[in-house]
Amino acid sequence: MGEIGDRFTGLRERAEAAHAAWRRPERPRIDVADDTSSRANGARATRAALERLAGERGAAVDLGRNHGYGMQWVQPLVTITWPDGASVLYGPVRPDDAAAILDEATGRVGAAAALAIGVLAGDRPGIPDIRDHPFVAPEPRERRLLRNLGLTDPESLDHYIATGGYRAVARALDRHLEPRAVRQLLADAALTGRGGAYFNTGVKWNFLAGAPDAERYVVCNADEGDPGAWVNRVILEGDPHLLIEGLLTAGYAMGARHGFIYIRDEYPLAIERVERAIRDAEAAGLLGEGILGSALDYRLEVIRGAGAYVCGDETGLLSSIQDMRGMPRIKPPFPAVSGAFYKPSNVNNVETYANAPFVLRHGAEWYHRLGTAEMRGTRLFTFSGDVERVGVLEVPFGTPLPALLQACGGIADGGQLGALQSGGPLGSMLPASLLPTLNTTLTAFRAHGGSLGSGGMVFLSDRACVVHFNEFISEFVEEESCGRCTTCHGGNQRMTEIFRRVIAGGGRREDRHNLELIDVTIQQSNCQHGQLSPTVMRNTLRHFSAQYDAHALGHRCATLRCGGMTRFVIADQSDPALADAAAICPVEAIRGSAGARWIDDEACIRCGACEDLAPRGVAREAVPVAPAIVPIS
Amino acid sequence: MPLETEARAQVRALIADLKPNDGDLLQALHRIQHEYGYISREAMEVVAEQLGLYAAEVYGATTFYSEFRLEPPPAVTVRWCGGPACLVRNGRGIRDAILATLGLQELGEQTADGRVGTWLGQCNGTCELAPMMWLEEHGHWDEARVVGHLTAARAVRMARALRDGASVDEVTRG
Repeated sequence: MGEIGDRFTGLRERAEAAHAAWRRPERPRIDVADDTSSRANGARATRAALERLAGERGAAVDLGRNHGYGMQWVQPLVTITWPDGASVLYGPVRPDDAAAILDEATGRVGAAAALAIGVLAGDRPGIPDIRDHPFVAPEPRERRLLRNLGLTDPESLDHYIATGGYRAVARALDRHLEPRAVRQLLADAALTGRGGAYFNTGVKWNFLAGAPDAERYVVCNADEGDPGAWVNRVILEGDPHLLIEGLLTAGYAMGARHGFIYIRDEYPLAIERVERAIRDAEAAGLLGEGILGSALDYRLEVIRGAGAYVCGDETGLLSSIQDMRGMPRIKPPFPAVSGAFYKPSNVNNVETYANAPFVLRHGAEWYHRLGTAEMRGTRLFTFSGDVERVGVLEVPFGTPLPALLQACGGIADGGQLGALQSGGPLGSMLPASLLPTLNTTLTAFRAHGGSLGSGGMVFLSDRACVVHFNEFISEFVEEESCGRCTTCHGGNQRMTEIFRRVIAGGGRREDRHNLELIDVTIQQSNCQHGQLSPTVMRNTLRHFSAQYDAHALGHRCATLRCGGMTRFVIADQSDPALADAAAICPVEAIRGSAGARWIDDEACIRCGACEDLAPRGVAREAVPVAPAIVPIS
Repeated sequence: MPLETEARAQVRALIADLKPNDGDLLQALHRIQHEYGYISREAMEVVAEQLGLYAAEVYGATTFYSEFRLEPPPAVTVRWCGGPACLVRNGRGIRDAILATLGLQELGEQTADGRVGTWLGQCNGTCELAPMMWLEEHGHWDEARVVGHLTAARAVRMARALRDGASVDEVTRG
C-alpha cells in the first residue's frame, strides 16, 4: 500500500471509530428524520417537542439526525438506537408522541409500541424486521444506492467513509488504476444512464476521455423536473457523498479537473447538503488539489437552477450553466465535443453517477446479480398518486408493476387502478389492463408505446379522468417549451387549446385528426422536450380511445371531473351543511334560502368547496348534452 | 458615465466577487432576488456590467426562468402545487378557489393592496401531502410553510383570512 492508501486508511480509521460510536451509542439516541419530505410533514416540530421534553426531564438521551427510510406516508419518522446497537424505526411521530418515544428510549419497553414500524438493526422482540415490511417487499434484501438511507447521518463524511465510501476510488488512485480500466469496468457492468435514455455509461465516458482538449468538464444533471419524480432528491439529501464519490470517479475516469452539479431551485436542502459535502470532502483531501496526496486535482461546484424544466435536457442545462437562457442546443456538436463553455463535457444524472462507486467497489459480476440481461442493476422509483403508500424504492430492473402497486398498498380508498402515468410529462400513460404485462424494463414499456422514464410512477385511480390529465400535461409542456422551435412551442399551444376545449365540453370531430397531425409535427423539434411532448397524448388516443371519444364526441366525462361536462346541483335540501357550503362558495353561486337552495351554474367555477363541506347536500351530475346541430348543405 | 446611485452601488457590492464567463449569472440573480425579493431593471443593468453581458441577455435569462420575479413580491405568496398527485385530488379546483377568493385571474398575480399573491409551484416530491400548497412570507423565503391534505374549502378559508390581513402563522395554526 502506498502513501495514498496510508492516508485513506487514516481517514477510515477515524471514520470507523465515529461510526461505531453512532451505531452503539453510550446512551440512547433519538434520530429525527430530516429531509424535504420529513420537514413538510412537521418533523421539526416533532424534534422541538422531543428536545423540550428531554430537557425538562433531564433524560439521558441524545438527539441525532438521519434521512427518512423512503416511507413518506408515515412521516415524521423517528429512529431510536440503544447502546446494545438495536435500532427501531417509528412513525408517524407527532409532537404529542414525544413522551412515548422518550419513555421507549429510556427503558420503558413498549411505550411507543403502537408507533413501531420495524427493526433497522439488532433485535427487538415483537417488532418485525424492517425488511419484512410490505412496502419494501420488491426491493432486494440489501439496498444498494439507498443502503445508507435512514441508517446514517447524511451530513457526516465519517459515516459515509465508515460504510465503505471513497474506498474504491482511493484504491484506484493508490494502485494507479488506469482511467481506461475504470471506464471498461463500467461498460462491462452495463451501467446505463438513468435519465431515461439508458445509454451505456462506460461507452459514453469513452467519448469525453477521447476528446482532444485537456480542459473538460464533468456535469451532473440534478435538475429533476418531472412532476411526480424525486429519486435524485433522495440521493442528494440522503447520501450526498455517494454522488460526490461518483463524480470523483467520473473525473478520474475521464481526465476532468472540474465538475458542475446543477441542482433545481426547488431542492434547497439538497443544495445545502451537497455544498456541505463538497466542503467536508475538500477538508479531508478527497476533493481539491492533490487528492489524497496524488497528482489528481478535481473541484466540484454547485449551480442553482431557477425553475426551468427544459434545463433537464442536457444541452439546455449546459446553456444555463454558462450565463445564458437555458435553451437546448442543436446537436451535433454533442456535449463530448462542445459542452459547458463549449469545452468537451459529459452529462449524466445523479443516479447514474451514484452507481459508479458500487461498480468500482464490487465489480461488474456483482453488479449483474440484480436486474435482467437487458438491463443490469437496480433503479430508484418514486410512487405517488392515488395510492395508500407514497415513497421511494430501489428495485431491480425487471420488477413486475403489479408487485410495485401492491407494495404501495394498492389504490387508496378501495378504488381500482385506472392508469399508470410514468416517466413524467414526456413519459407515458398506460391503462390498468396492461399492468400485468409491465415490468421495469424499457422493452415492457415500449411494447405499448410507453417509456420507463426517469423514476416517477404516478398511479391514477379509475376516478381520475385521463383526458383531464392530458390537459395538465400539455399545459405543462407548453409552458416549459424554450420557444426555439415553432413545432414545439406552437404545436404544444395548439395541443393545449384542443384539450382545454375538449374538457370544457367543446370537443369536435376533427380534434383527433388534428392531435395526430400535431404529434407528427412536434417530433420534428430539435430537442427531447419537443420530440417527446406528444407521447402522453399519443398513449391516450391509443389506449384510452373510448374515454377520449366520450369527451370529444359525446361531450361526456364519466368521472365527472371535467368542468364543462359536469355541474354541481343541490341533491338534498335537508342537509344542514348546505348553509356552510353556501358561505364557503368563493363566487357566491349557491343562491336561495334554506330548503330552497339552488346553484347558479353560470357563476359556478366547479372548485368543489361546497362539496367538501356538504357531500350529501351537493352532488355532481353530467350536463345534459345539447342536440347536435346538423348543417344544411 | 453617470454617477452611481446608491441602489446600484448596493447591488454591485452584492455581486462584486462574480466574474464574466464563469457560470455566475444564476448566482447573481439569486442573490439579488434573495436580498430584494425581485430583480429590477436597474439590478439587471448592474449584473450585465459585472458579468460582461448585454443588459438584453440578462433580461432574456431573467425572464426565461420562472422563479425570478420582475416586480416586488406580495407580503404573502400562496404557492400552489401544480403536480400530478395534487391534480388527481382536485388540485385544479383548489387553484380556482384560491384565485376566485382573491379576485385574481391567473397564478402570478397579486391583490391590489400587495397583501396576497399567487405563484405556480413545481412538484418537489412531498406527494404524500397532496393536494398541497406552500405559504411564503416576504423576506422569509427559506421558511415556506407547507399546507398539505388541502381541500378547496380549506383553501378558500385560508385565502380569505390572508386577504383580510391574517399572518401565515395565524392561518396555519390549529
